[in-house]
Parts: sequence; C-alpha cells; structure tokens
Amino acid sequence: MSQLATENTSNGRTILVCCGTGCQASGSLEVLASLRGLLAGEAGTAVRASTKSTGCNGLCEKGPLVKILPDDITYCQVAAEDVPDIVDGLRDGTPVQRLLYRDPVTRQRYRSHRETSFYKKQHKIALRNIGEIDPGDIRDYLDRGGYRALRTALSMTPAQVIGEVLASGLRGRGGGGFPTGRKWQSCAAADNAPRYVICNGDEGDPGAFMDRSIMEGDPHTVLEGMIICAHAVGASSGFIYVRDEYDLAVVNLHQAIRDARAAGFLGDRILGSDLSFDIEIVRGGGAFVCGEETALIASIEGHPGEPRDKYVFPAVKGLWGRPTVINNVETWANVPVIIDGGAAGFAEIGTAGSKGTKVFSLVGKVVSTGLVEVPMGATLREIVFDIGGGVPRGRSFKAVQTGGPSGGCIPGSLLDLAVDFDSLAAAGSMMGSGGLIVMDDRTCMVEVARYYVNFLAGESCGKCTPCREGISLLLETLTGITGGRGSIADLDLLESLSATVRAASLCALGRTAPNPVLSTLKYFRDEYLAHICDHRCPAGVCRELTEFYIDAGLCTGCGLCRRKCPAEAVSGEKKQPHAIDAARCIRCGECINNCRFQAVRIR
Amino acid sequence: MKIVIDGIETAASPGEMLLEVARRLGVRIPTLCYHEAFGGQGVCRLCLVEVTAGEVSRLVASCTYPVTGEIEVRTTTPEIERIRRHIIMLLHRRAPGSEFIQELYREYGCQENVPAPDPDERCIMCRLCVNACEAVGACAITAVDRGTDKRIDTPYGEASPDCIGCCACAEVCPTKAIGVSRAAGHYTIWNREFELERCAGCGRPFTSRPCQERIARLSGQELSGAQLCPECRKKQAGSRVALSMIP
Amino acid sequence: MAIEPQQAAAQRPMEQIVRRYPPEQRYLLAIMQDLQKEFNYLPREALGLTAAHVRVPLGKVYSMATFYKAFSLTPRGRVSLRACDGTACHIKRSQVIIDELRKCLGIQPGETTADGEFSLETVNCLGACAIAPVLVANHKVHAKVTAAAVREIIKSYGGRVDEPVGN
Ligand SMILES: Cc1cc2nc3c(=O)[nH]c(=O)nc-3n(C[C@H](O)[C@H](O)[C@H](O)COP(=O)(O)O)c2cc1C
Ligand code: FES
Ligand code: FES
Repeated sequence: MSQLATENTSNGRTILVCCGTGCQASGSLEVLASLRGLLAGEAGTAVRASTKSTGCNGLCEKGPLVKILPDDITYCQVAAEDVPDIVDGLRDGTPVQRLLYRDPVTRQRYRSHRETSFYKKQHKIALRNIGEIDPGDIRDYLDRGGYRALRTALSMTPAQVIGEVLASGLRGRGGGGFPTGRKWQSCAAADNAPRYVICNGDEGDPGAFMDRSIMEGDPHTVLEGMIICAHAVGASSGFIYVRDEYDLAVVNLHQAIRDARAAGFLGDRILGSDLSFDIEIVRGGGAFVCGEETALIASIEGHPGEPRDKYVFPAVKGLWGRPTVINNVETWANVPVIIDGGAAGFAEIGTAGSKGTKVFSLVGKVVSTGLVEVPMGATLREIVFDIGGGVPRGRSFKAVQTGGPSGGCIPGSLLDLAVDFDSLAAAGSMMGSGGLIVMDDRTCMVEVARYYVNFLAGESCGKCTPCREGISLLLETLTGITGGRGSIADLDLLESLSATVRAASLCALGRTAPNPVLSTLKYFRDEYLAHICDHRCPAGVCRELTEFYIDAGLCTGCGLCRRKCPAEAVSGEKKQPHAIDAARCIRCGECINNCRFQAVRIR
Repeated sequence: MKIVIDGIETAASPGEMLLEVARRLGVRIPTLCYHEAFGGQGVCRLCLVEVTAGEVSRLVASCTYPVTGEIEVRTTTPEIERIRRHIIMLLHRRAPGSEFIQELYREYGCQENVPAPDPDERCIMCRLCVNACEAVGACAITAVDRGTDKRIDTPYGEASPDCIGCCACAEVCPTKAIGVSRAAGHYTIWNREFELERCAGCGRPFTSRPCQERIARLSGQELSGAQLCPECRKKQAGSRVALSMIP
Repeated sequence: MAIEPQQAAAQRPMEQIVRRYPPEQRYLLAIMQDLQKEFNYLPREALGLTAAHVRVPLGKVYSMATFYKAFSLTPRGRVSLRACDGTACHIKRSQVIIDELRKCLGIQPGETTADGEFSLETVNCLGACAIAPVLVANHKVHAKVTAAAVREIIKSYGGRVDEPVGN
C-alpha cells in the first residue's frame, strides 16, 4: 500500500479506496487502478479528486469499499466497471444508488456508512484512524494528531506516564486482561537493564483479525504506543513480532518505522529528549503458541516457541533474561489516546472492571461480518443483532463463540450478557483476542468442540504431559462421538480429564484448552446425547450421523438444489419433488443453504 | 527465608527451587523429568504441589518454582493425587511398552482403560536424553515437530554426524526407550554404528572412538594410543572427567 | 560425491541469503524464512549452512524447521493452494472445500502432486474471516469459495478435474 502514494490536490475531493486484505481479495486494487486511470484524464480536473488507499474499514464482507470526502458517500461492493459511473456521479452531484450500502434489516439505502446500523453503535478508539488514513503516509497520521501523545509523554516523568496508564484502567487486549500500567510498573522497577518492549502481533486466534487491521491500517499508532512505553520503563529497544501470514502488515510496519526514524520519532535522542529507542520487526514462523508471551520470547531468541513456567513474569525476567514489557497490538493502539486525551476520559468508557472499548471480529453466521469496536459492557445482543444484523437466511441463532481456542461457546440464553473481561470468564468463556463467531442451528456444537481440540492438538508446543497427551485423548474421545462411536462414559472422561489438563498444564494454552469442551458440555449437553444415544447430528454436520432428504410435500421442483449440488446427488423432473441419493451425497449442505422452501431436511 | 512444607518448617535461600528444598528436607515429591544434573524442566508435571502465599493457593511445578517469599506447601491433596493419577494414565496410554510405566500405572491405581495408539512405544517425552546429549556437547538428538506429534529424534531420523556414541541418552532414560543394539565388536544407537574400542587394561570393549576423543578434548588431554575403561581408569588414577560425562 | 554444476549454481544464493544476517542465534528464524521464500522449501544443504553460520548444532536448526509450520522440508508445488480452516471458515464448511481439493488433486493436506504442480495445505485463519471460506492460490485470495469454485480454480491453473465428484 505504501508504494501507492497519495496524490494531493488541495481543497479537492478525496476518494478513499479500502485496500485491507478483505477488500483486496474482492478486487479493490483493480478499482483503485481504474480510478487512477480515469482521474488522470479530463475527468480528473472536472471532479478535482485525489485517491488514497486505506486500511480495513471493518465491513470486509461488503468490500471493496470506496468512500468519498467531503461528500461523505460510501459505496459497497464496487467493481472496476463501476468506476465510470462513480466519477459521473461526482460530476452531477448524484450518488450512484445501486452502489450505496443497503441495510440488511431495513433494506433502506444509506448515503454514508456512518448512518448505518453497523457503524452507528460503534465507538472507535483503537480503530480511530483506520480507513481514514493512508497507512503508508506518515503525514496522514500526523494530520490526525499522531505523535502528539509522544510529545506530551516526553514532557512528563516516566512515573507520571505510568500513573496515567494505571489511572486509565487499561487492561491488556491480547487475552489475559492484565492491567497494563501494573505490568509497566514492575518492568520499570526491575533492575538489570537493558529493558525491552515487545508488541505481540502474532494473532494466532483463528477467526480474529483486528490486530492485522491495526498493523496494516494504522502502523504508527502501534509505534507511538511502544515509544511512550520505552520512555516510561526506560527501554532501549523494541520488537514487533508479526504473524507469518501477514505480509502486508510487515510491509506497512517497515515503511512506518523508516518514516518514524526519518521524522525523529525513533532513534537516538528522540525529539531532543534523553530517550533513545528503536524498533525491529520479527516475523513469526507459523505457530499459534508463539502468541503466548514466554514462547514468543523464545522465538525471538531463536528457539522453538516453547513456553516456560511463568513463576517469574517477563516484566522482571523476559527477553534474554531482561525486564520486558509485552503488550498486544490493540493495547498499544490505546496508549496514545490515553496520554493525549487523559486517563479520566478513557476511564469513563466501559464497565467498572474493564475500561475503554474492545474490537471484536464479528464473523461466522451473521449478516454483516467484519470488525466492530464497542465500549466494554455492550451486550452480545447489541453486537450480534443490532450491529451485525443477526443470523442470515432466516436460520436461528444458536451460540456465539468468544475467545478463540481458549474460549467457550455462549448460548442464546446469555445474549444479554454485558461483555467484558470478567463477565465472559464467569460464563465459562473468555475475552481472548476478541473473536466473536456466531453459530446458527446448522452448527454442530460437538463438532465445534472437536474442531478446537484438533486445532490445539496441532498447535500445542508438545512440551508438557497434560497438554500433549491430554489433548490427544480429548480429541480421540470427541472424534469418537462425532463419528458415532461415543458412549455415555465418554462424557465423564471428558469432564475429569479436562479438569486435569486445566490444572496441570504448563502454559495458558493447555490450561484453557478444555474450555471449548467444558462450555459446550455445559450448555449443549443435549447435542452430545443426540450423537451418543440417538446416533444423529441435529445440525446435520457430522457425516456419519447425517442424512439429507427432501420433503416431497414442501419441494416445488424448482431444481435449484439439483443445479447447485457438486456431487450430482439430486435428481428430479421439473416441477416434481426431487430426491437425494444418499450414496452420492457428500453432505456439503449446498442444497439446504439454497432451498427457499425449507424442503431439504436432516434425518 | 522460612517456608513450611507439609507442616514442617525449613529454611530456603531465595531463588532456590522448591523441589530441591523439599528433597533436602526428606519430603518425597514424585518426578519424571527432573535430574540433579540438569535442574527442573517443568515437562512431566508430576511434581505439582500446592503453594499458599497469603490468601491465594495455586498449583505449581515444584521443580521450576523458585522460592521468593514465605509460603506454605502441601505436596499432596486429593486434587494433586487425581492429577498425578491422570498423568500416569496418560503416559501409560502413550508408552504402554515401558515396564517402568506399567509399574507406576499399577502403583497409582489407574483404572481408565483407554486404547493406546502404539502398544510398543516406550518414550514418555521427559527429554532427559536431550539434556544429556546437550551436556556432553553433541546435540545429536532434539525434540522434533510439535503438538501431539512431538518426538525425540536425530535430524531427518538418520545417523547423526554429531552423535559420538556415548550412550548418555540411553543411560539416563527412565523407560529404556532408547535402543542400543550390540553385536560383536560394534554397537548401534540412533541409527549410527560405532566400533567398540577395547580397554587397554582389562581388554573389555567399552566405548567408541569419537566418545574417547570428546572426553579427551573436554579434559584437555591428548588422546594417547592406549585407552582404559572407566573401571580400570578408576583403579589407576580415579578419573573424574570421564564419569562426569555420563550423567 | 562430485558436485554437479547445477547444484553448485544453486549453492551460491543460499550462502548469500544466510550471510545477510549476523552469525547470531536470534537470526535463525529470519534466515530460515528467507531460505523458505527463495527455494519454496528448506533444502538439506541450507539447514547445514544455517547451522554452521550461526554456530548451533544441526539438531537445533532441524528442531526449529519442524516446529514452525512456515517451513517445509520437501519442495512445494508450482501452485500452492492454502485452504483456510480457521474457525470462521470452518463454520462456513471449509471441510467441504478441503475434501473437494483432496479429491480433485488426489493428495492430502501437506502433500504435493506427483507432477510437482500443486501442493495443498490447510492453514488456521488468513485474517480474511469476513469473506469466509477462503482459499489462497499462490498469494491470490479467493473469497466465499464453494466446492464448484474449487474446481474452477484448479482448472485456471492448468489442473485437470474429473467431473462430477463422488464420495
Ligand atoms: C496460547 C496463547 C496464545 C496467545 N496468543 C496471543 C496473540 O496472538 N496475541 C496477543 O496479543 N496475545 C496472545 N496471548 C496472550 C499473551 O501471552 C500475552 O498475555 C499478551 O500478549 C500480553 O499483552 P496484553 O497484556 O496487552 O494483552 C496468547 C496467550 C496464549 C496462552
Ligand atoms: S519433575 Fe517437575 S515437571 Fe517433571
Ligand atoms: S478463519 Fe479463515 S480467514 Fe479467518
């Protein structure tokens, strides 16, 4: 993105094209190229517009997104072919109706994304700049008050900075929710310099991508947060550990570091102060467990990412045995706001125990998928239904999974739960990094538990016995149940074994690994029983226990399922009830998903 | 500083590992991955004990827990017993071929009858072998892969040029999982074949050439022609170095 | 064994890549990343050179190479197909996509077709969850993939697929 420089025309319009990963996959680079091509000609002078590529706007599902300022128009699902119409629309001042966002609930079209239900209830702090700035251009960041907090911090004593962070009530956004100020305090108090600052950008939680968006879309805020911390704890170097798959994040962070050095925000005697600090990027090697801080430290040192017992915290003994502050990407993004706006303002947002906002990646079986940032204490119902628009295709809501592989599944009865660190933990789940995966009645909860345990079987470092062997046995037992070979005794084994894995494992990966099992057992025991006693998978997911059939009374013979079936398992004459050949059926569910008459059934 | 273990008061120096304090006191805590020569690893988790500091109690691995304040320790509770039983059960599922583990399985009164993926397996992944190999300076074997597939092996599962045939790994292995196959005049370990050198004193075959060289180098001596086996050497001069090589 | 001219030619960039970093253990991961990127896998000689450069035993480098999933010890295919099986994709039935890939290519995840054309991997989340299920073919992200789309993608890279798909 950085190579796509901004073309500035003063007082003109700015057309912002979202080039986040989601939008790029939907073709936003082609849209941008086509816009640039057209604006280079006569049309450009007529509409006086420059283009900018931005980071992720959060509404990836409706991408590519194009925003026009100051007209405040937002277009969705734009293709390169739509570009001439967009430019024409700017000439005569009428927005292109067909490209405007249509609210999935009210079916109403909106001129600006700001008016939509997806954005209205959001409160952006960590994501404040994303989608508004070109991440490759430090001037954009400066224009929006960037690095002002750093100047403020440098005019304060380290103790004052830490005091401010403590007073804000900021808790780590990487999962544990540890008070950030306390961490900084113990690092600053530990002798044995040099001290280090680390940004945890490993984001291994499958289904979460907020850290990716921040690193890609607003890299300077991460740098600024880290530099402020370096001043507060007296650190001389910092590392950003970025997940292997995040190519664009690495490119944009590199660019940001170069620009920050050139502008005097990094390097020797930053802004004329006594602080000398620089940042290096380390690319991860593709291991979920490296998100765990002691494993991450091992990885930076050049070892396999195996955690160690944390009886002494990294803040005291971390990288190369030195005091080390390690915080999550989103945590860093909050720091400049706290220093710039003051702790008191920040602490006004949120709940008693959890201050500020949290970014969630709202994905799965929900109408509007994407990133949402809401104040702590928003209810699950607000997030899933008011912002996300509920479950698509008229299916019914079953559960929402939070906290990734370490989290749990929360049932519909708890939809009014106010989400913060403590309430999620009380419900048997956890905040984790903020993945919110919505599940409908076509999601099998036993299979979900098996999925997570299988994930952890491959992602555990394999060092300690309870985690390595315990997960292996949990997986074998769950696979037996989803395969139709379960027994009632398995449920007792799952429960007692889970207790051991939770209590005895070396690191938090193992200690939280049983959460998906225990939470589904707690809230969805009936599904386990259906698999074991009735030999059926109520959601129609587990192959050995599922058979699809067509209800002849409901089938209109439209033929849609026949055409969609990749296995040619559906047969039937036009306008006559169709039938599914169970022997050919691969149980992919295309027929169910496409049938408008609810005629495809699960036996 | 003062700490209390199972009701007995004792003194510990700050940073000392809890397991070592307990051992000094004569309190028995079961371990599998601990060895005096290498210190605690926190791998097997059999040495879990309950530590209470002020109001909060938690389970810690005593082999990696440094004493940093006044604490009260309980080395067995019903929960700890359940955990230890489960750990033995899990290791028995992994390594049913080991007699040592079979014995523990009976001793701990394990009941769960879970099928084992590999009935011949004997390795419990305690990694003492890896530590021993590293201690002799060879590093021929390491932990390979991760997750439930993790195992101990040489690079590419082939004979490693770094292996000196000292057999320290096999020696230290509690479950006899590392095979050393002997034939007339030579032996094979980790797929590498070594010729046995004979002791110049008693004439018994005792070690490999690379192993002798390593010992000589570590002790700063020239490797002269005639080599003595540890027994003979002890008789002759009382060698320290060669013995300390083999944990 | 005599070094064949081809092998000697391949050796130079390998050395160059390794020597770009100071000889310290902390650069192991970075060196291996660069080698993987250049050769699409970690050749044996590369591991040896790396170990010698940072002065650690080969066993340690091998341990790293097998621990981190970014690395492959066997050559990957010309077209690398990475199917996401992260949670968001899984909930949207990525298993169907993976099964389809398996059947069409006749290989399991982690394998490469005999002709060296396609390799198949499953990954845990590509950070594109909002457009799940996702399939990445040589860095191109394909959104909202279906079983039918899988066959089109394979065909677009010159692969042959027999239709229709049975069990
Ligand atoms: C298995 C495991 C995976 C983790 N993955 C991440 C991650 O991807 N990103 C992250 O920031 N923290 C992750 N954490 C939490 C970190 O260990 C650590 O608590 C966090 O980076 C501290 O930063 P914070 O206080 O700002 O949250 C993970 C923890 C565990 C146990
Ligand atoms: S002896 Fe402490 S974990 Fe094995
Ligand atoms: S789960 Fe597939 S992209 Fe995130």
